[in-house]
Amino acid sequence: MEKITNFFKTFLLFELVKGMALTGRYFFARKITVQFPEEKTPQGFRFRGLHAQRRYASGEERCIGCKLCEAVCPALAINIETEEREDGTRRTTRYDIDLMKCIFCGFCEESCPVDAIVETRILEYHGEKRGDLYYTKPMLLAVGDKYEEQIAKDRAADAKYR
Amino acid sequence: MLSQDAIQKIDREIAKYPAEQKQSAVMAALAIAQMEKGWLSTETIEAVAGHLGMAPVAVYEVASFYNMYDLAPVGKVKITVCTNLPCALSGGVHAADYLKQKLGIGFNETTPDGRFTLKEGECMGACGDAPVLLVNNVRMCSFMQPEQIDRLLGECQ
Amino acid sequence: MAKIEIDGKQVEIENGRTVIEAAHLAGIYIPHFCYHKKLSIAANCRMCLVQVEKAPKPLPACATPVTDGMKVFTASEQAVKAQKGVMEFLLINHPLDCPVCDKGGECELQDLAVGYGSSASRYQEEKRMVVPKEVGPLISTKEMSRCINCTRCVRFGQEIGGIMELGQAFRGEHAEIMSFVSNSVDSELSGNMIDLCPVGALTSKPFRFTARAWELSHRRSVSPHDSLGSNLTVQVKNNRVMRVLPAENEEINECWLSDKDRFSYEGLNSGERLTKPMIKQNGAWQEVEWQAALEYAAKGLRQIADGAGAEHIGALATPHSTLEELYLLQKLVRSVGSDNVDFRLRQSDFSADGKQAGAPWLGMPIAEINTRDRILLVGSFLRKDHPLLAHRARDAVKKGAQASIVHSADDDLLMNVANKAIVAPDAMANVLAQILKALAAEKQAVVEASVQSAEVGSAAAAIAKSLASGERVAVLLGNFAQQHPQAAQLQVLGQQIAALCGGKFGFLGEAANSVGGHLAKALPRANGMNAAAMLAAPRKAYILLNVEAELDTHNPQQALVAMKAADLVVALSAYKHQATDYADVLLPIAPFSETSGTFVNTEGRVQSFKGAIKPLGEARPGWKVLRVLGNLLNETGFEYDTSEAVRDEALSGVDVAAQLNNAVQGVALETAGAGSGSLQRVSDVPIYSADAIVRRAASLQNTRDAEAPCALMHGAELSRLGVHAGEQVKVSQGEGSAILVAAADDRLPQGVVRVAAGHAATAGLGAMFGAVTVEPITGGRA
Repeated sequence: MEKITNFFKTFLLFELVKGMALTGRYFFARKITVQFPEEKTPQGFRFRGLHAQRRYASGEERCIGCKLCEAVCPALAINIETEEREDGTRRTTRYDIDLMKCIFCGFCEESCPVDAIVETRILEYHGEKRGDLYYTKPMLLAVGDKYEEQIAKDRAADAKYR
Repeated sequence: MLSQDAIQKIDREIAKYPAEQKQSAVMAALAIAQMEKGWLSTETIEAVAGHLGMAPVAVYEVASFYNMYDLAPVGKVKITVCTNLPCALSGGVHAADYLKQKLGIGFNETTPDGRFTLKEGECMGACGDAPVLLVNNVRMCSFMQPEQIDRLLGECQ
Repeated sequence: MAKIEIDGKQVEIENGRTVIEAAHLAGIYIPHFCYHKKLSIAANCRMCLVQVEKAPKPLPACATPVTDGMKVFTASEQAVKAQKGVMEFLLINHPLDCPVCDKGGECELQDLAVGYGSSASRYQEEKRMVVPKEVGPLISTKEMSRCINCTRCVRFGQEIGGIMELGQAFRGEHAEIMSFVSNSVDSELSGNMIDLCPVGALTSKPFRFTARAWELSHRRSVSPHDSLGSNLTVQVKNNRVMRVLPAENEEINECWLSDKDRFSYEGLNSGERLTKPMIKQNGAWQEVEWQAALEYAAKGLRQIADGAGAEHIGALATPHSTLEELYLLQKLVRSVGSDNVDFRLRQSDFSADGKQAGAPWLGMPIAEINTRDRILLVGSFLRKDHPLLAHRARDAVKKGAQASIVHSADDDLLMNVANKAIVAPDAMANVLAQILKALAAEKQAVVEASVQSAEVGSAAAAIAKSLASGERVAVLLGNFAQQHPQAAQLQVLGQQIAALCGGKFGFLGEAANSVGGHLAKALPRANGMNAAAMLAAPRKAYILLNVEAELDTHNPQQALVAMKAADLVVALSAYKHQATDYADVLLPIAPFSETSGTFVNTEGRVQSFKGAIKPLGEARPGWKVLRVLGNLLNETGFEYDTSEAVRDEALSGVDVAAQLNNAVQGVALETAGAGSGSLQRVSDVPIYSADAIVRRAASLQNTRDAEAPCALMHGAELSRLGVHAGEQVKVSQGEGSAILVAAADDRLPQGVVRVAAGHAATAGLGAMFGAVTVEPITGGRA
């Protein structure tokens, strides 16, 4: 029996028909290709992109230098140094994230007791030379300042699941 | 710092204990010192500590623990209201509130004329007589309803 | 002995011990906060509640003595329920600020809360808040709200520190740990309270917020300061020493550490560190490469050795240098043909040299101090010079020992001193002679004629009586006695006193390696010059190892003159210091944290350690520098690869225990006078001025102990001079003088003025002992 079907398949172009059927199906199906710079895929509020450091509404930076993110980071991408600020609070003098090392696991934001370090929805960032993706504290704070509205909205949406 | 008289009295207290346990007399010594000075300033506490060979902070521990010792100047009449649980349940808090309103001061405050000081006290061992007040560390007043309080204040005027 | 059963395990322990001790013996952990093996039992945290068979309620294991046949369950349902209940209460008022707490990661409460705490609090009300108080530059109490009132710190002050500076004031919910009216905590052992605190209520000010416990690497080391040789855990991050904690060693420092050992690490990170070799050329300092600096030094030394003669080369080292450094220094100097090498920079009497049977040492193991029943302290600022030995002496006194002192100052030793003889320095030998005479009379022994002539005073008689009645006597000579111009006399007298009562005689070594210096032979043999002689008769070339000439020597005036007159001064130092005025070559060497080495402590214990971090900048370990210097001088025998090789050579075939011997032969006792009557100087080396590292430890320099030195005199002396306390006076000695504030101390004998040595403010003065003049400065009220 198998011999007979194989015999017919050799000259009836059965595979071609099957292939064309698939092509035909996708030809009429809804397109999923995104024209990237103009079009974008939707993002969840938990999207883990570029990091940011947040501030309170008063302008005070949130980070208290507890170093939990540094300790939890599996890629050892975070580097923190702290000291006592003049007002007696614990603050960072250095907060660096090496984005080349970062694996965007989100442990840092999960471990943060004050929601200071967060991962934003930003994924379109780049570096042009070595070291451009080594983010320092002022850079992270600048990201936070710029996108605070979005960040706050995302945190609020996620709050009930935490 | 302390008068000769006070020191003599303290020495009499010290004599009640073995020589190497002078510090046993600390409570009596503080009471004598307070009697003389009106309240226990840091200098007075240091003087008592020096006399008993104790660390000043050890004497301060005692002076701050018991509320019959005053670490700040008080008025002529010091009224201590017990607000511990049994008293509180039987109207101690009301008595305190009435006193506050009557004297126009809160706890640990002195009336502007320097006459009355109001303090919050710990159990005086007379829960059955609640509400209980202590006047100037020695006079215990039981069942202090507003009328009795009025009478007491009148007496002290 | 009681046989008890804990969680099914049989334990045998002597009666009177507690359940928690029995449990620890059996390797069973019982959670606790207020219990500490070295402190008295308070039983106020209630965390150690355990179930005991037949007891109706859980009992605190720390305060329950064992009884035969007792059955204890530490993890039964009842015990765990009790412990969880206690934990809930403890957490009620404990702030949830672990992320900013310095103790986070090494906190006893945090650790136990993981096991016994619930994940959420049922407590809704407001937490207790404590207003922070200031207690000095070492301890921060900013977060006193975290306190769980275990009172370990209070008990430490009372029982170990000897002075109660913190207390628990107020009561119930308002109870808080505080000092009396914001007094600072000035005990020289105060740092231990930080270790003892089971939560983050007492934290270290210098360390505060700079690192978390989990990011620090722990390295073992040995303290380079006092002669105890405390074991250290140096904690390191990014090649920087972040803090120093004690490493437990029951025979040396137990679990304590003096503040000097604990906080001196700030000096290691000081901005004054020398990081590049430097040469002075045409009066200006230039940074150069190691090769150039070493060649310059070697050439200079060779020239002087070949020209003026090797005896014109002198080498001075501090007793804080390692054994390896001292050994190589003497080897270097001796190989070029000189014998002028010494490390006893503050000593002034060398008449026992060559007559000493061995290296002067404590005369007994350190731990034996606690078991003495009579202690005679001769010339020692014990608390400041040896903070932890003072604790051991205090412990002995607490157990019933009688302490007696012969000294020129009467600082509070924080223990009961049975007898005191406080006399001017030049009368000290006489007092010892009196004691010896009185003691001989008690023991019916014969003494030399020179002793026989002493008139026995009442103080000496009392001391002799006390010593005669003792079974385990120790006669200990402190730093002051060793620096004394009649040190050899004091030594002979002390030795005879100890011998008469069958006790131990010993020296409280001046510095970390005072014994090591002797083992390394870093002192002149027959024809060489000792430290004092080298400075009195200036040499043409000096090699200085860790020495700051104006601070580390007996006579800074003389030392500076000698340094300035020298043709070549090669200074090996970790710091850029005053040597820039007189040196020609500065070679940066590594302090103890950055080099391997060995210290031999005062009981003769040889303790080697490895470097905790890499040397800063271009600094190099001292032994390597000296080795290369030896190579460049074309001397043989400098082919070492490791510091261990140097140590092994220095100690090869040396039976250290046999080398330790305090006996001195052939020093004739002089008839000691009762004192001259002219104004004499008494000098202590303040605790935080004793060596180069502590002098640069910023926080220690802000303590009360590091305040600028005063001219302390007896009140009668002040009024005789017509000076009031608080006025400025001019203290002159030899050619130099210092302007100091006069202060009264009626515990000093009359006829002396106490002026600290080893401090920049008094570096212009001369020898640590001897005649001084004090004159008022008109209108000079400070």
